[in-house]
Amino acid sequence: MKNHQARTIIQKGLLFALILILIMAIGFHEIAAALVSRVFSVDVRRGSLPEVRFMMYFFGLYAFISGWATAGKEGSFSQKLLQGIVASAVAGLIVALFDILLVYLVQNGIDIREYLTAFSTASMSYFLFDRGQAGLLQHLVYFVIFGGLGSLLHVIRDTEAAQNAINKASFFLKSSKEKIDNALPPFVRKYGKYLVLMIVAVAMYILPRLWGSYINFVLGLVGLYVIAGIGLNIIVGLSGQLVLGYAAFFAMGAYSMALLNAPTPHNILLGFWPSLIVAMIMAVLAGLVLGLPLMGLRGDYLAIVTLGFGEIIRILLKSDLLSNLTGGPRGIHDIQGPTLFGRPFFSDINYMYIIFVAVALTIFVYNRLQESRTGRAWLSIKEDAIASQATGVNLKKYKLLALAIGAAFAGLVGGISAARNQFTGPNDHSLLVSMNVLSIVIVGGVNSVPGIILGAFTLKGLPEILREVENYRQLLFGILLIVMMIMRPNGLWPATRPLYEHMDDPESTKKTSGKESNNA
Amino acid sequence: MTAKEKSSQVKQRDLSKIIRPIFGALVAAYVLWRLYFVFIVEAKYGPQVWVSLLIAGLIIGAVYSLIAIGYTLVYGILLMINFAHGEVMMFGVYAGYFVLEATKAIRVPTAANPDLVFADAYPALSIILTFIVGMGVAALVGYYLEKIAYRPLRKAPRLIPLISAIGASFVLQNISLLLFSPQLRNYNNPNAMARGNGWKIIINETPVNVPYTGVFTLILSVVLMLGLLYLVRNTRLGKSMRAVALDKDTAALMGINVNQTISSTFLISGALAGAAGVMWGLHNGQVYNTVGFLPGIKAFTAAVLGGIGNIPGAMMGGMLLGLVESIGPTALGISYQLKDVIAFAILISILIFKPSGILGEVLSEEKV
Amino acid sequence: MPDLIIETREVSKIFGGLTAVNQVDLEIPRGSIYAIIGPNGAGKTTLFNCISGFYTPEHGQILFQGNPIQGFTTDFISGQGISRTYQNIRLFANLTAIENIMVGQHTNLVTAWWDAIISSPRYRRENANSRKNALHWLDFVGLNGYGDYLACNLPYGMQRRLELARALASDPTLILLDEPTAGMNPQESEEMMAFIRMIREKLEKSIILIEHDMRVVMGISDRISVLDYGTKIAEGSPKEIQANERVIEAYLGPGGAALAKKYQDRRRNKQNA
Repeated sequence: MKNHQARTIIQKGLLFALILILIMAIGFHEIAAALVSRVFSVDVRRGSLPEVRFMMYFFGLYAFISGWATAGKEGSFSQKLLQGIVASAVAGLIVALFDILLVYLVQNGIDIREYLTAFSTASMSYFLFDRGQAGLLQHLVYFVIFGGLGSLLHVIRDTEAAQNAINKASFFLKSSKEKIDNALPPFVRKYGKYLVLMIVAVAMYILPRLWGSYINFVLGLVGLYVIAGIGLNIIVGLSGQLVLGYAAFFAMGAYSMALLNAPTPHNILLGFWPSLIVAMIMAVLAGLVLGLPLMGLRGDYLAIVTLGFGEIIRILLKSDLLSNLTGGPRGIHDIQGPTLFGRPFFSDINYMYIIFVAVALTIFVYNRLQESRTGRAWLSIKEDAIASQATGVNLKKYKLLALAIGAAFAGLVGGISAARNQFTGPNDHSLLVSMNVLSIVIVGGVNSVPGIILGAFTLKGLPEILREVENYRQLLFGILLIVMMIMRPNGLWPATRPLYEHMDDPESTKKTSGKESNNA
Repeated sequence: MTAKEKSSQVKQRDLSKIIRPIFGALVAAYVLWRLYFVFIVEAKYGPQVWVSLLIAGLIIGAVYSLIAIGYTLVYGILLMINFAHGEVMMFGVYAGYFVLEATKAIRVPTAANPDLVFADAYPALSIILTFIVGMGVAALVGYYLEKIAYRPLRKAPRLIPLISAIGASFVLQNISLLLFSPQLRNYNNPNAMARGNGWKIIINETPVNVPYTGVFTLILSVVLMLGLLYLVRNTRLGKSMRAVALDKDTAALMGINVNQTISSTFLISGALAGAAGVMWGLHNGQVYNTVGFLPGIKAFTAAVLGGIGNIPGAMMGGMLLGLVESIGPTALGISYQLKDVIAFAILISILIFKPSGILGEVLSEEKV
Repeated sequence: MPDLIIETREVSKIFGGLTAVNQVDLEIPRGSIYAIIGPNGAGKTTLFNCISGFYTPEHGQILFQGNPIQGFTTDFISGQGISRTYQNIRLFANLTAIENIMVGQHTNLVTAWWDAIISSPRYRRENANSRKNALHWLDFVGLNGYGDYLACNLPYGMQRRLELARALASDPTLILLDEPTAGMNPQESEEMMAFIRMIREKLEKSIILIEHDMRVVMGISDRISVLDYGTKIAEGSPKEIQANERVIEAYLGPGGAALAKKYQDRRRNKQNA
C-alpha cells in the first residue's frame, strides 16, 4: 500500500512538473499576460515581456492548482494533506532540476531560440523571475507553499462538514429557483416565450445600428456559424452520419454565389437573391451526389470519405485545371451584394439583418423537423440503424434527406458569407473550417440549439475578440475537444427531448434527463 | 403487398446492381483512354522516366506502408481511426532532426580534419542514433496519446473517441508549432548519406539516380515489416494483440492485460511511424509542423485499400498507393498538382466498391 | 389449403462454411401462436432474421400471406406487416418511451418533412393522432406515466414491454418475438404469457416466438417446431413435442430419451403407489 501510494504521488508530481515545463516550452507563460491584460484591461506588460510579478502570480496559481489536484483521496485529513504536499514538493523538485538547466543556459548566454522558440535568454530568465539561481529556490518554495495551500483547501472541501454546507447551499439555490418559477403568473409562463422573442427581435433591429461594424462583423460570423452548426447537426447529430468534409458544401454555395455575381471570371451578375437560391440548390445537389454512393458505409469510413471529398474539392478549386472556370488559387473578388427593392442593402448593418433572419429561419426549421416524424426517424437511425430499419424506416431515403437538408444550410452560409466578404477562395473552405463547425456542434451540445449558439460564441466569437491568443487558439481548441469528450460528451448545454405524455400539464416537473446513455 | 410497392423495391435493387458496374466501367474506360493517349499517342517518355518514377514510388510506398500498419493495428484493436497518427510521425521527424543537428554540432577533430563533426566521422552510428531516438520519441507520443485522449473513452460510442482524436491531432500539431516555430527546416544528412546522392544506372542512355537514402529506406522498411510480422505471429505479445483485437472482453477473461496490450500496440505503431518519419526526413528533407497530415491520410487510405485490420494488407496497400501516386499523374497525363486527388479518389472508390479492401478486413462483426 | 401467414420452403442460410439453417420447411397458420425451439446455436434467431429480412437465404423461399418476401429489405417487410422484438433489447436508447412507440408507427404515417416545416393541417392532425395512438399503446403495455422517460433509463422489465409496444404500434399482422421472457422471473413470465395470449385473442395477430423457457412454450403455443444444428427435427403440438425422443436427445444428448423415460416411469410409479 505504501509503495503503491508513493508511486502514485511521484507520478502525479512528475505529471504536473512536465505540464508546467511544456507550458513554458510553448511560450504560454509569455502570452498569458497578454490574455489577462486584454480581459481585465490591466497592463501587465513591460516591453514585450510581462512584468515579473505576473510570472510569480502565474506560477503561484499553477502551484495552487496542482496542489489541489494532487491532494489525496483516501485516508485521514492529515494523510490526504501530506499526499498533496509531497506530490507538490516532488513537482517542485523536478521543476527545480529543469531550472538548473535554464540557469546554466542563461548564465552562459546560450540562446537556443532557433530550435525551441521559448528558450530565448530573456524568456528563460523571465521564467526564473529574473533572479537566476535564487529563482530556482523560489520555484521550489512556491510549489510547496501554494501547492500545500491548494491541497489543504481541497481536503477541507472534501470533509463532511464542508460537503454538508455545499449540499445545503445548492439545495437552497434550487428551491429558490423553483419558488420564483411558481410565483410567476401563468400568463407569463405561457406567453413568456413570445415576449422574449419579441424583445430579441426589436433588439436585433436596433442594436446593429449602435454597436459598430466590428461587432457586427464578429456577431455576423457567429450567426453564420450557428446556421452551419445547425445544418451539420442535422447530419451528424440527428441522423448520426459523421461528415468531416462539410466545408465542401460551403464551397458549392460560395462559389455559386461568386460565379453568378461577380465581374470575373464570367461577368454574370445575376443578383444576390437568385444566386443565393442557386447556391443552396447546388449544395443540395452536391450532397445527393456525394451521398448516394456512400449510403452503405460504416460511420468512421463515411467520415474519412467525406474528408477526402472535401479535400478533393479544395484541391480542384485551387488547381490550374479549373482556374478558367473557378478563378484558381486566387479566388474570386468583388462579389456584389444584395439589393432590396432596388436599393443597395449591403452595409454591415444590413448583413446583420439578413444573417439574423437566416438564423431565425434555421432555428425554426430545425425545431419543426426534430420534433416531427422525420426527426424521430433520423434519431432512430442514429441510435440503432438496424432496429430502425426493421421498424420500417427507409435508411437510404432518410440519410440522403439529412445530407441534402444539411447541405442546403451550408450552401446558404457559403453564399451569404461569400457576398459579405466580397471574396471567396479555395482556402476559405479547408478542412479546418469543417473541423471548426464540427467542434461547435460537439462542444456546444449535440442536438441542442442553445448549445450550438453557445458553442459558436465560444469557439468563434471569443477568439475573434481575443486576438492575442491567436497562436494558441487552435491548441486550446484541440484541448477543449479532448477535455469535453472526456468530461462532458453531451456538450456545454445538452439537449432534451420533448415531453409528449405530460405536455399540457403545467404542474409537471418531469424533465427528460440530458444525459445520454453510452450504449449507442 | 401492392404491385407498385413491390416493383419499386425490386427496381431499386436492380438499379443499384447496374449502376456500380456501369460507373466502374466508365472509370476504367477513362483510365484506359488516358493510358493509351500517354503511352501510344504522345509516347514522349522513355523507359528511364518510368524507372525513376517506379523507384520514387517504391520509396514513398515504403513510408506509407509503415504508417499504414500503425493505423491498421490501432483500428484492429480499438475499432477507431487514430486521427492523430500523422502527428505521431511528425514528432518522429522532428526528433530525428534534432539528433542530426546535434551530431552535426559535436566536433571530433582529427589531425587530418580539424573540423570533423560526429555525423561525418561516424555516419552509420549517427543514422542509427537518429532512428532510435526518432522511433522512441514517436512511440512515447503514441503511448501518451492513448493514455490521455483515448483510454478514458474506451467505452464511449464510436463518434466520441474520433472527436477526441481530431482534438489530439490539433493539439499535437500546435504544440510542435509553438515549440519549434513555423520555420521550415531541413534534415541535415550526414555527408555519406546526402540527399540526392546515389548510384547511377544507365537506362536508355540516360543516367537514372538510385538514391542512397531511398535504398536505405526500402531495406529498413522491409526489415521493420518482417520484424512486425514475426512479432504478431510468433510472440506472446502478438498473440495478445490478436486476441484483444478479436474480442476484448473475452481476452481479459483469459488473463490478458488488455490495457498493457493496447499500450504496447500504440508503442509499436508509434515506433513504426517514427521510423517512417525519419525516413521521410532523410529522403525528402522537409520538416514542418503539418508534415504528418497528408501522409497520414494517405496511409489511412492505404490501410483501407489493403483491408483495415489486416497487416499484410496495410503493407501492400502502402506500396500500391505509393506506386500509383508516383506513376499515376505522368501515366494519365494529368497535372502533378492533382496527385493528392488520386489518393483520395482511390480511397473513395475502394470504400464504394469494395469496402473490405483488397485482402479483406480482419474485424469482429456486428451481431443482430 | 389453410390460410398460412408464413410459409418457408427449403430455406437455407449459409455463412461461409457453416450452414446455419438447413432446408427448413414451415407452415404457420394465420392466427396461431407458433414456437420455434431448439438448443443454443440451432439457428432459430438466424431463421427469424431471414423472415424479418435481415438475412437473405441462400436457398428457398419465404412466403408471407402467399407472397414471397425473401431478399427484400427489413423496412419493406416491416411495411408489409411483420414486426419483431429482439433477444437483446434494441430500443432507441436516447428517445423517450413515447417516441420509441411513435417510431414504431412510422410505416403507417404519411406526412413528409416539408409538412413538418410548414405545419400543415394534415400534419397537425396526423401528429395528434400519432400521439393519441402512442399513448394508447403505452397504456396497453402498462407503462402509463413513464412515457417521457428516456428508454435507457427504464428498468429491464419495462424496456421489454416498451419493445413490445413499439412492435405493436405499426399494427402488424405478424409479430416475431425473440425470447420474450428472457431474464424474467416466473411471475413475470406468467404475465407475459397472458399478454401474448391477449395479443392473439383481442388484437387478432399471429405470433411466432423463440423461447427457451419450456413452461412458456408448452403453455401458450398451438404448434412447435424444433431446430437442431439448423435442421428441423420435429414439429407438432406441445404434447407431441414433449414426448418426441429426437427432441429430448437434442436437448439432453444421446441417451437422453432413455433417461427421460426412466424418470417419467419412476414418477408414474410413485404416483400409482
